[in-house]
Amino acid sequence: MSQSLVLERRQPSPAVVRQAIEWLMRLNNPTASARVLQRCEQWRAAHPDHECAWQRVLSLNTDLNNRFQALPAGSPAFDALETSAQRLGRRQALKLLSGLLVMGSSAWVARDVLPWQQWSADFATNVGQHSGFALADGTRLRLNTDTAVSQDFTAQQRLIKLGKGEILVTCGADAQSPTPRPLLVSCSHGMFEGLSGRFVVRQEGGHTRLSVTDGRVLIRLPGASSIIAQAGQSYRVTQQHAEIMPELDMDPGAWADGLIVTRNMRLGDFLAEVSRYRHGYLGCTQEIARLRLSGVFRLEDTDKLLAILPQTLPVQLRYRTRWWVTLQRNA
Amino acid sequence: MPSFNATLRVLYSDHHGWLNGWLRSKLGNAADAADLAQDTFVRLLNRNELLELKAPRAFLRTVARGLVIDHWRREELERAYLEALAHLPAQQAPSPESRELVFELLESIARMLDGLKPRVRRAFLLAQCEGLTHKQIAERMEISVRSVERYVADALYHCYLLRYQA
Repeated sequence: MSQSLVLERRQPSPAVVRQAIEWLMRLNNPTASARVLQRCEQWRAAHPDHECAWQRVLSLNTDLNNRFQALPAGSPAFDALETSAQRLGRRQALKLLSGLLVMGSSAWVARDVLPWQQWSADFATNVGQHSGFALADGTRLRLNTDTAVSQDFTAQQRLIKLGKGEILVTCGADAQSPTPRPLLVSCSHGMFEGLSGRFVVRQEGGHTRLSVTDGRVLIRLPGASSIIAQAGQSYRVTQQHAEIMPELDMDPGAWADGLIVTRNMRLGDFLAEVSRYRHGYLGCTQEIARLRLSGVFRLEDTDKLLAILPQTLPVQLRYRTRWWVTLQRNA
Repeated sequence: MPSFNATLRVLYSDHHGWLNGWLRSKLGNAADAADLAQDTFVRLLNRNELLELKAPRAFLRTVARGLVIDHWRREELERAYLEALAHLPAQQAPSPESRELVFELLESIARMLDGLKPRVRRAFLLAQCEGLTHKQIAERMEISVRSVERYVADALYHCYLLRYQA
């Protein structure tokens, strides 16, 4: 009784508790010798705080062992605990951030919520995903990150509606149809007719970019004559007009192979591109936004991709959280 | 000085609606938000001390945030546990009763490990759940044995503080 009272009142210092834990771990080691035990006993006897910390650590250890041993053998305890803790961490980081940055964050927090296009679409991907589909006419469709597409095939036409995001279309022969049906892709800024080959349609805020990688595509403009886009060309299309773009600083269809391929691209533009594939904020300070980079980057893990940058550019990464990453000039 | 109950009543009538809204924004679900708002005030009842709060909303938010995290932890653990069970061969699948017991045990462990750095948690779990030696953990995590020892010691210290200094 008196001893437990003493134990209650004592408050061993953190250093002493750490030492007690060290002793426990040494003794738990299967190869521990009698000499270790002896030295542990000497340490315990050296001060009442030592003995107090030792008793507590021992009782904690017993309790922990009991709990873990009560889990059935071969149970998926480790997976369940580890996976759920990781997810909980991500969730807390995200929600905490969204609470702190009410104004600034709305633009990207909104991206976490599935918009109506994604609910109603026939084909859709989330941020960071890409996937492919084969349609009944032989056309193949690849969806890039955060994309929603609907399909509307009738006896007269094969219409693909791009709600948002970016698709790669490989024109199918439509051999089963008794009458020829045009293959059409509609988006907020216009309508494209795939004549042959492969093309990429990428819808952005104010315009849509059409890039023909192979074959020919007809750009249909309301109230103007149509334009034929050839392989290797990219057009910037708004509701009013279409203009041919100078050679792009990145390969428009590389994402379909899980890659970003850049030629002398501004770092600021590159990061904007990468951030399409991940949640959260990704940006850099003004002074380094103009740095240029060329290369082939794998999209499957954008954290790994970012980790490569300091090897080629004088920059360093700063992770405030996993979801909030800025690049700055190397100090 | 107003009584405990009177203080709580004022707190409730002044801030319950706000707390409910705050929780709904976190949880995205009105029913869960209402439950947790209720739980928050029940927690205060159980504190049994006079509340003289200068910043009642900050205080309520702190209590409620803890409950939100408990709620999420339970959700994530349930999901991860069911996923892990789905990978087991059918004859190894536990009965519903033992499932419930194991889940409670897992939850108590998860709560205990809350706040550990991911690599510390991982090393500790590999030792405790999988019964790996420090050397095996070092190989699996691709770190030194010395680091494993430090992580396991950190985890024990964390549990010690929870148990003796709360």
